[in-house]
Amino acid sequence: MKKLILITLLVLCCANLRAEIAVICNLENDSKQMTKQEVEEIFMGRSHLLPNGDFALPLDYLDLRPEFYNKLTNRPIEQIDAYWARIIFSGQASPPMKLQDEQTVIKTVSKNNGAVGYIDSKNVDKKLVRVLLLLK
Amino acid sequence: MKKKRLPLLFLLLCVTSQVHADDSYPNWSLKGFGTLAFTGTDSKNLGFYRDTSQTQDVTQAWGISTDSSLGIQIDASISPTLHATAQWIARDHSGNFFEQNLEWAFLRWLIDDDLTLRIGRLGVDVFLLSDYRNVGYAYPWMRPPHEFYAYLGLYHFDGMDVTKKWNVGDGTLSLKSFAGYSHNQYQDKVTAHTIDFDFAIAGANVLYESGDWRFRASYGIAHNLSEPTKQLLNAMNDPLVKAFYPQISQLTSKVGFQNTDNHFYSLGVAYDDGVWLAQTEASYIIFAHDADIASGYLSVGRHFDKFTFYSLLGITKNFYKNVNVPQPAFPVPALLQLQQTVDSAINQIGMDEKSVSLGVRWDFYSNMAFKTQWTHYWLGDNGKYLWMKPAFGASSDSVNVWSVGIDFTF
Repeated sequence: MKKLILITLLVLCCANLRAEIAVICNLENDSKQMTKQEVEEIFMGRSHLLPNGDFALPLDYLDLRPEFYNKLTNRPIEQIDAYWARIIFSGQASPPMKLQDEQTVIKTVSKNNGAVGYIDSKNVDKKLVRVLLLLK
Repeated sequence: MKKKRLPLLFLLLCVTSQVHADDSYPNWSLKGFGTLAFTGTDSKNLGFYRDTSQTQDVTQAWGISTDSSLGIQIDASISPTLHATAQWIARDHSGNFFEQNLEWAFLRWLIDDDLTLRIGRLGVDVFLLSDYRNVGYAYPWMRPPHEFYAYLGLYHFDGMDVTKKWNVGDGTLSLKSFAGYSHNQYQDKVTAHTIDFDFAIAGANVLYESGDWRFRASYGIAHNLSEPTKQLLNAMNDPLVKAFYPQISQLTSKVGFQNTDNHFYSLGVAYDDGVWLAQTEASYIIFAHDADIASGYLSVGRHFDKFTFYSLLGITKNFYKNVNVPQPAFPVPALLQLQQTVDSAINQIGMDEKSVSLGVRWDFYSNMAFKTQWTHYWLGDNGKYLWMKPAFGASSDSVNVWSVGIDFTF
């Protein structure tokens, strides 16, 4: 039984590692697709505006956070956290809001025009959100 | 003190874990950072300070006040473009515990996506690390390089700064300029009295950030508004002293600070590609009484998964010339005492320090890093200004400093 749980966990973990991440926005957002660099600028606090000129509201989804930043910046999450410690505590910018579950991310994105989040691409519901970028 | 703060810490953790899942304004957040570290040396009589703002040194008897601190920060977004921040840090700092430790209290106005104005209490941003020196979690070392940062007791000022950004090539070029007033309190190492320093400060820096690189050039000026040596000057100008000990009265120009200017010039480069990291800075400070200071450091490190190993070399020297303070013709105790005080005010400001450090940072848990560092310092003749020296007799010219601690953010 224990082995089974372990194997299931391992499979889940590996599946998670291979997941394709979809960067999503509100349906009202008329920005075209975003490049990896544009997404990075927003999630690293260097830019506050979306390509359409709206204020960006970046959202972190905790379960996918390490993988998302790794795909985006090629760095482990510890280095991203140290970077944010510098930016936050030298009063330059605020970090993305951290959300616990995928449904909340989808709900928040569907309700806020400027919101940008990321979820497992399998769970994208095109009636609720629009995909800006796929991170493989 | 740390123990008493733990329940508060947990309370803060609970509060910060609640997130508002919308962009309604105003919204606010409470965040914090801290370090709990033990630091000690192998010297009986030479005391180590993290920087000149501290009151407690450490020697062979280890202490926690040198590198430990706890900071809290409240951020309030009033609208997408208007933001308020206040940060207060519990740490060993001379003077008023509340006021001197209030590091930030400002309004940030995003005038445009690439133009920011901040007004209020701000961090003095003259070197690469100067406005986040207490946030150990943000850098690999136990503390900012001693030779470069220990002398800079100036942490904050009341005024404004403006930052303008441009996209240049693959990176961002930002130009920041600032001006304001800074009230600082230091403790006289000999008398333990609190001394007030008031400065009018201004400066500008250029930062280019691109991928793994950060390049920086900066200039700052601090104009002394106050006279921290007022009492000593009064004693030197006393009519009786002038009559019986005229040689000392002629030295007043070597003692006063009021209306003198300090100019800070610096260049810095930081590199981190996720595997290798390197950082170097060089500065030249034009200081009153021809006691200019040249400093520099170089650090190279490597990340291995959750571990970061680093080395650090530092050097600082000031170029002041020893001034002969002649003996009084009438060697009465009061005049001899004055001679000694003037001599130490003029001739005990020497910095001549080199060091090598090795250390490791281990990110063992989310938002927590364990660090340990060993540093060996070589201190030149009469070059121990950054240290606590014994009142009488010789002190060692080389010393080891060890530290071990945990940095965290919440």
